[in-house]
Amino acid sequence: MPHRSKSRSAILAFSAFMAPAVAIGGMAAPAVAADYPSKPVTLVIPYRAGGSMETMGRVFTKALGKELGTRVVLKTRPGAGGAVGALEVSKQKPDGYTLLFAASVSLLWHPMTRDIGFGLDSFTYIAKVTDSQMALIARQDAPFNTLKELIAHAKKKRLNYADQGPMPRAFVNFIGSKEGVSWTSIPTKGGGEMVPFLLGGKVDFAWSGGIHNRFPKKMKVLLSFNSGRLIASPDIPSMQELYGVSMPSPVVIVGPKGMDPALVAKIEAAIKTAAADKAFEDLVTKKLKFPAAFVGHKALTAQIQQVIAGMKRVVAATKK
Amino acid sequence: MIEQLIAGFGNALTVTNLLFIAAGITLGIVIGVIPGLGSVTALAVLIPITFYMSPLAAIAFLVGVNKGGTSGGAIPAILLNSPGTPEAAATALDGHPMAKRGEAQRALKFALFSSVTGDTISDVLLIVLVVPFAAIALQFGPLEYTAVLLFAFALLSGISGDSPIKGLIAIAVGVFLSTVGLDPVDGSQRMVFNEVELFDGFPLFSLAVGSLAMASVLGQLFELWRAKGEKRLSVEEYSRIETRLPAREFFGHWKTIGRSALIGSGVGMLPGLGVTLAAFLSYGAARRASKEPQSFGRGNPQGIIATEAANSAVVGANLVPAIALGIPGNIAAALLIGAFIIHGIVPGPFMLTNHGELIYALFASMLMANGVHLVIGRIGIPLWARIAQTPRAIILPPVLVMCIVGVYLPNQSIFGVGVMLAFACLGLAFQRLGFPIVCMVIGFLLGGMLENSLRQSLRLHQSDLTAFLGSPIALVFLALTLFVLLRALRRA
Repeated sequence: MPHRSKSRSAILAFSAFMAPAVAIGGMAAPAVAADYPSKPVTLVIPYRAGGSMETMGRVFTKALGKELGTRVVLKTRPGAGGAVGALEVSKQKPDGYTLLFAASVSLLWHPMTRDIGFGLDSFTYIAKVTDSQMALIARQDAPFNTLKELIAHAKKKRLNYADQGPMPRAFVNFIGSKEGVSWTSIPTKGGGEMVPFLLGGKVDFAWSGGIHNRFPKKMKVLLSFNSGRLIASPDIPSMQELYGVSMPSPVVIVGPKGMDPALVAKIEAAIKTAAADKAFEDLVTKKLKFPAAFVGHKALTAQIQQVIAGMKRVVAATKK
Repeated sequence: MIEQLIAGFGNALTVTNLLFIAAGITLGIVIGVIPGLGSVTALAVLIPITFYMSPLAAIAFLVGVNKGGTSGGAIPAILLNSPGTPEAAATALDGHPMAKRGEAQRALKFALFSSVTGDTISDVLLIVLVVPFAAIALQFGPLEYTAVLLFAFALLSGISGDSPIKGLIAIAVGVFLSTVGLDPVDGSQRMVFNEVELFDGFPLFSLAVGSLAMASVLGQLFELWRAKGEKRLSVEEYSRIETRLPAREFFGHWKTIGRSALIGSGVGMLPGLGVTLAAFLSYGAARRASKEPQSFGRGNPQGIIATEAANSAVVGANLVPAIALGIPGNIAAALLIGAFIIHGIVPGPFMLTNHGELIYALFASMLMANGVHLVIGRIGIPLWARIAQTPRAIILPPVLVMCIVGVYLPNQSIFGVGVMLAFACLGLAFQRLGFPIVCMVIGFLLGGMLENSLRQSLRLHQSDLTAFLGSPIALVFLALTLFVLLRALRRA
């Protein structure tokens, strides 16, 4: 995968093609990039303090500040699965002084399913720093070892699974509708509630946002919901391979729509170096067990479009 | 295990470590005193500082912050009747009447001593139970949680105010308010009027600080205004007031202390239930066990003991699911887990095997922190008690400002401040009408959990209510619920 833009003009041409607003914004403010940054940058994290996303953002803030040569102020703005912080950033000026560090899920699911105040085109995707590790999991002693066996099992007996919100549920039910089985979703609030339910035998299988990496001896992975395979389970197929759709896994840094391409390139370069920062890389790969997977503006924007197309299929297929 | 613990003390007992614990406790208490800023905010604010410390120092520091933050909340509750958190509201029920009689120092001592004792008991339980615990916690599924929550509501209705019916109505209002926001199952909007800020429902801190602390402070200001100044105790009346609290008198309440610590530890070990439930369950239990239940709410020190011992006991026990299963028991434990991860310790079933040395050093630090907490808290009491002697007209207005700051800071949301002001008005109205506002706040807090557990149960068992019969744990709690409710109604 190309992870670096070849030239500035390539970006310009690309963004003009993707979203006219970007190009107009770019032409209106050509001088912005030269003296950027001339004041502190605010990095909004739309999640509660303490989770792995916030932990990651906090360490990243320091690395980015070093790279940009200015103070980067971290601001947590939790609510509605990230939508509150995203809405706030979408309303700021596209001058690069307000950026958002978020899982792309938070930017895509809400606007697809309801009127939330921002749309799929409200953001300039600057870079991806890693991928969340989303999987379909079961207890180690479950009577099925693969997705196929799970489906065969579900045809004999109605199974329960723990979801963690409407989007994971839509994706699990999408598999069900493709395979001609139905199962009962049990809503759980985050991984903290899912783990005891799964290990205590209250549910048969579960969707996991990555917490299963902490329990390698107690849980097994049946499917990767990412577009590629998971780093910890390279033998397990991904949903993209089997069904041609995937959940949005990129953890991204975005700004409001209409950012000047030169500015985007400047911030992208800073993020690229910051993502390779030792403290950050150590936290992401060794402690959280996420991949280090920097992807720049151009490739990321294309990747997000592909994910959106897949999500639209899932939404259409699982609508009642 | 004893050997490991001794080795743990060997690692943890250093001057630097003690200093970090002391600093953590002091900062925790100071932050906890501000209404709305409890241990959660204190932890969130202070975690970045720990990036530069060694893992053990960092975690000892944060454990200190957590302990100090939890007990600091009792201070404004007792002195000013302005509890910043729902659990401190239970402390205020008896603590403030005691302070009003002039026994502020004794009330603060009761609070501190029970806090430290409850904490120590729960730390010991943590160390002993952390391994066998995992199996027990897994028995608790949606059915069991539903039954425990119903039982909590039944106990709660009898706690404050004189009419259990009014208590139940207030709880129902709270449960109703908790349904505002996105539906937890299908994500449809419920009473949010397309306001994104309301998608997660009313922010808990705004609701709690507004209806508990701010309403109470406003009520007191109105009272002052109507009475044209306040009647103050004369100097010789002050000199006659007892400020001492001999250890013998305190430990004379050993039954309440032990019961409360066990309730707190039990609740703390179950993920998600939290400090507030522990405080109120324990308060209710103390009141029911007492020979003179009507003395509760009028300055009975057992009320303070019950709440403080229980809510501090949650702090240690909360780490049991965090360490045994990798699941935080509440937000404070979640923040601690975040800090663990930053320092390279991945919580979960393998934490003890992979980082055993560090974990036992952590246990040792927790026990040491209790001693430090006692000393620092004790030094602070005469200072805090001055506040009780300062005219309320001087003390109360700044508390209003602190309420606003405390609610604004964590999420930097003006919307949250607006919600707080609205609930301050609602709180005043409840006061005037004789409805216990605390019941409303806890109904709100537990309402979301009740909905979640009940709906999970219904989905798991295809809406078959007889499923409750299949769970002995749930049956016991449902029977207790009926018993408590019927008894309360017959008395009333």
